[in-house]
Amino acid sequence: MSDFNPPSAAAGRQLAKVSQLDGLGLKQLIEAGMTWLKTNQQTVNALNVFPVPDGDTGTNMVLTLQAAYNEISESGEANIGKMAHMIAQGALMGARGNSGVILSQLFRGFARGLDSLETMDAQLFIKALIEGRNTAYKGVVRPVEGTILTVAKDVAQAAENALAETDDMNMILERIVAEADQSVKRTPDLLPILKQAGVVDSGGKGLFYIYEGMLRHLKNLPLETPVTTVQPLSAMNISETMESIEPGQDYEVVVDFRPSNPLDLETFYNDLSKMGTSIQVGEGDGIYRMHIHVPTENRYRPIDYTMGLGTITKVSMENLIAQMVTQDHTKHTKLQLAPVEPGQIAVVVVSPGVGISRIFASLGAAAIVSGGQTMNPSTEEILQAIEKLPTDRVIVLPNNKNIILAAQASASMTVKKVVIVPSKSVPQGLSAMLRLEPDGDFEQVAKEMVRALGDVETGEVTIATRSVDINGVSVKQGEVIGLHNGQVVESASNLEDACIGLLKKVHTEDRERITLFYGDNISKNEVNTIVDKIRAAYPKHEIELHDGGQPHYQFIIAIE
Amino acid sequence: MNDRNNQLGNIYVSPRAIATIASQSTIESYGVVGLAAKNLAEGLAQVLVKDPSLGIDVRFENDSIQIDLYIVVEYGVRIKSVARSVQENVRYSVEKAIGLPVTHIDVHVRGLRISNTD
Repeated sequence: MSDFNPPSAAAGRQLAKVSQLDGLGLKQLIEAGMTWLKTNQQTVNALNVFPVPDGDTGTNMVLTLQAAYNEISESGEANIGKMAHMIAQGALMGARGNSGVILSQLFRGFARGLDSLETMDAQLFIKALIEGRNTAYKGVVRPVEGTILTVAKDVAQAAENALAETDDMNMILERIVAEADQSVKRTPDLLPILKQAGVVDSGGKGLFYIYEGMLRHLKNLPLETPVTTVQPLSAMNISETMESIEPGQDYEVVVDFRPSNPLDLETFYNDLSKMGTSIQVGEGDGIYRMHIHVPTENRYRPIDYTMGLGTITKVSMENLIAQMVTQDHTKHTKLQLAPVEPGQIAVVVVSPGVGISRIFASLGAAAIVSGGQTMNPSTEEILQAIEKLPTDRVIVLPNNKNIILAAQASASMTVKKVVIVPSKSVPQGLSAMLRLEPDGDFEQVAKEMVRALGDVETGEVTIATRSVDINGVSVKQGEVIGLHNGQVVESASNLEDACIGLLKKVHTEDRERITLFYGDNISKNEVNTIVDKIRAAYPKHEIELHDGGQPHYQFIIAIE
Repeated sequence: MNDRNNQLGNIYVSPRAIATIASQSTIESYGVVGLAAKNLAEGLAQVLVKDPSLGIDVRFENDSIQIDLYIVVEYGVRIKSVARSVQENVRYSVEKAIGLPVTHIDVHVRGLRISNTD
């Protein structure tokens, strides 16, 4: 028998013995390996951690294999040696990434092992595999174990061992797949970085899929749909899937449901894959959780579909495009810091949130160090910011009483002239910032800025982390508290009451403007409701609202 | 020389130390069979060097590191892919160890080693 003609029998059948393989048979196997790897490409990509999480091993291996296959797709070459050389040539030309290069070397060695022989028997098959392994190992001075190289080595060894028992290449391939599976599972023991990341080696896994695809082809199992493994609910990592959104992944739909009949996973998965991508299924306590990314027009289909399978307990849907847009927004909006000429006065600002940084930058800050209540920047970070500025006259605004000391320490460590304007809050910092004159007299400007600290009252609204009696205010853990210039003055059960109550305690009569900076832990809706209430309560005041982006504090309020 | 201030004093890392890190991760990169001393004549490039700082040039510019690598590659691999993964590996390991950005890595392939003829 010189060809694998997949019989129509069902999965898992006993394979007929194969003792000879020719070029066309090899071509079929390569195609099957490629198809199966393509099907599982994303799974392999998700494993990538080495050397940097770039997540493209699967893609690189598919492209390499695709190039190899393109070389032979038109060929009817029956000589297996010649076929193998063409495959190796294609893989070499198309090799992409580290794993792709190694894969091409495996093919190259394999082809050399076959030389230009007409057909291959079990003995030759093993010889070619070993030659492939040797060639791959020759390509590096210091092979890193726990990678695709290790898997190739283990596979060659297993195949060699199998030869002692059988000369049936199908059986040997079964052994190969089983060993590849085991070998991949062992990779974290050999390569610590994998263990740290809690994954197996991606290239090794890719090689496993290639061999498994060949075997599935022989067993007449489908190659186009991945086999789902149901994971425990707790292990589902849905946030990970956010990393890369492809076209057609507009909505994320997560459905929890209790199937009325035992779930046929293969069918379930198959049906889902017609609707979208990034499919994950988790199970716990009889409840299944299904996760899928779907294009806009399909957004209700997964829900309707699961409804037919049992009882839906929960549905959540998220617009990924909008999510990506906000992610991009915060990631990519570069701060426009004020340019500084030598000799000018520059200001280094410690800022607790992205929005606040932006406001300081718009007022002429030359450098921003991020830090705040629970994330005090180090002396070194502030010092670096000071040193990097092209001027030797620097003013630092710590904007938090816990950071003033670190700022002072950094001032003592540089030869530059540095003045710390001890702003204890963001509103104080902003008030001081307004007095900056970059070309003014250094001492004079600094003095003005210090004086400006008193022009503003600071209000802060946050959630109490513990119960306490302070300044005659009794606070229970979890309540919303209002602080006036750092002192607790108000405690309430909700944000709205806390804000209004706080403003009452601050003497707003002789003030004209209230500016609110809302944090990253409050929704825009809530913000709008509260600000409307404040506007109604203080009709004579000018009320301003900014996205501060600070953690912990729902609101930082400046009252001027 | 590169110094980074902290509260206790300065830290100096010599180019040679960085070259050693780069050398290690270069020879662990797939496809690379050795480093070649950059000043050897072309024909001698196959004399593989043992000294970890040979075949590697490290320069500092402002607060960033620039590296030149002179390598010998296994015959029969796709050189472009190999060179790129060398760049990635070296940048990753140097940045991880030193904490300063590596802005430039030039890979010079000085020769091929033929261990198998096809």
